[in-house]
Amino acid sequence: MKLLHLTDVYKIYQEGQENEVRALNGVSLDIARGEFVSIIGASGSGKSTLMNILGCLDVPTYGEYYLDGQLVSELPDRRLSKIRNLEVGFIFQGFNLIESLTAIENVELPLVYQGVSARRRREMAEDALERVGLADRAKHHPSEMSGGQQQRVAIARAISTRAPILMADEPTGALDSRTGEHVLEILHGLHDGGTTVILITHNNELAETAERVIRVSDGKIVQDGKTAAEVTR
Amino acid sequence: MNIRQSFKMALKSIWSNKVRSALTMLGIIIGVAAVIILVSVVRGQNIKMKEYYESMGTNKVNISAYVWNGKDVSQQLYDFCLEQSDIVVGVTPNMSTWGDIKYRATNTSAHPTYGSPQVYYGSDRYSQCNNYTLERGRDISFLDVKTYNQVIVIGSKLSEYLFQYKNPIGEKISLRGYTFEVVGVYKAKDTGMNEYWSLDYMAVIPYTMSRLLDKTTQITEFTAKIKNAESVNTAITRLNDFLAKKVPENSGYFYVYSENQWLEQSDEQNKLMSNVLGGIAAISLLVGGIGIMNIMLVTVRERTREIGIRKAIGGSRRTILIQFLIEAAVVCGVGGVLGILVGGLGTVIAGKKILDILVFPSMGMTVGAFAFSVALGITFGMYPAVKASGLQPVEALRAE
Repeated sequence: MKLLHLTDVYKIYQEGQENEVRALNGVSLDIARGEFVSIIGASGSGKSTLMNILGCLDVPTYGEYYLDGQLVSELPDRRLSKIRNLEVGFIFQGFNLIESLTAIENVELPLVYQGVSARRRREMAEDALERVGLADRAKHHPSEMSGGQQQRVAIARAISTRAPILMADEPTGALDSRTGEHVLEILHGLHDGGTTVILITHNNELAETAERVIRVSDGKIVQDGKTAAEVTR
Repeated sequence: MNIRQSFKMALKSIWSNKVRSALTMLGIIIGVAAVIILVSVVRGQNIKMKEYYESMGTNKVNISAYVWNGKDVSQQLYDFCLEQSDIVVGVTPNMSTWGDIKYRATNTSAHPTYGSPQVYYGSDRYSQCNNYTLERGRDISFLDVKTYNQVIVIGSKLSEYLFQYKNPIGEKISLRGYTFEVVGVYKAKDTGMNEYWSLDYMAVIPYTMSRLLDKTTQITEFTAKIKNAESVNTAITRLNDFLAKKVPENSGYFYVYSENQWLEQSDEQNKLMSNVLGGIAAISLLVGGIGIMNIMLVTVRERTREIGIRKAIGGSRRTILIQFLIEAAVVCGVGGVLGILVGGLGTVIAGKKILDILVFPSMGMTVGAFAFSVALGITFGMYPAVKASGLQPVEALRAE
């Protein structure tokens, strides 16, 4: 069984109404453990919806989604929270940091939900911030940081739990090219360590760095295959 | 995530929204303080009222009887009361007269507040029936009554006014031109209920003196001291039965009543007052609670994205629910504690200003007010908390 397995998945908004939107229109997909997959597509193609479903942030209207052999639609809220907490790390395009918390408190938050002791939590969060080069900004609030620094805090939060799957939605979208490259390096470093990475982007060049590229258009997968990723890397 | 962690998180969240939290608390502070002050002041009023009645003497039955045709029933009534020795411990006439009392150059008519005192016609049981105790000297005696002795026992305030620090025993005073010898002084017992009148600015003379002062021998008012509160009603029944026979309809009037009834009545009124004021204050507390719900709803809306982030990184429905409930409960709990402090202070100030006594809120009410405010927070925090925790992470994340 693959790590992630989608069979004929649909996500339909306002179904049956005049303004019905089919964000996903019959997607079937397998992703193996340890893969580095990029999902590429134009704006509105359904790639973010696909990530939301893969990350258990949303549920399909129709179709089946298995995560590590478990049928996600049958899992209770508590179990889904556990999956989001333990199995998946998210990096969002808009950073999604909590403004009232400092950088280190943001990084600690998933560990709080895991019930990790305060001391151990602090150690793990400091380690994650160090890995993204932000150990010296631990006590700063997001509003006191640049976009690139905020994104690195978000990455630190995603990797602090050492989740086996990392999902990144346009992680370099709001960053300058140099910071973007740094973020990409971190992702590849994690992949090299065994993490399954799913990268959502509209940028072909960025997508090419993955070992597998899936192109989405109008809610369907239109291309799925190996690319010259090794060369560009 | 454990409760301690949830508390820490809730406190942090409250702290980062200081102004909003303070405004939310204000409703609870005012509500709790209002409940405490109003109920405590009414309770203080009740205590003071009881003290006042007790100072006048409890378990008393007052009797008025008058016959038009000049037939005097007073002696028969007096004798009847004395016969009821199983329940009546003493009986005294309870009539009074007014008159200036002079001692050397001091005249009571010049008293700046009270003026001339009330002078009671009493028996040797007057002090027992009216709850006076002697401070010095002696009381009116049976012999004084029988032999028309011109003796007088005075209240402490009257003694103070006429004699200052001098021992009044044996001194001669003049009452409406007649000379009386002061034989005793009663201890102070007034509770300060009325600033223009005092239970200690009075005097008692043998009731037979009415013949001399008011040219009458007819006594129409009596007070009987009853053994205990339980016997008061029996005494009233017996006296009514007796007087119904002695004072036929249309030939006069009679009236038997007990101050215990007044006390019960004022107790009832105070309870009613307490309930009405408590109710009004509870409404203000309820308004505070609705304010909390309103603010919690706004908070949820404002923090929808945060809730989305928390859910996306592993916060379960239960965790989010607990966090919001604890936030509401802590805001209300802190508001409750502050309300208790403000209410306690307000009670002391109001007690001193309005009643001139020291009143404190009761322990039960303090604990009750705190529990009520926390319960209010949980109740009114529930709806927005349920709403927040039920959101799909992706929906919450889309919120701006």
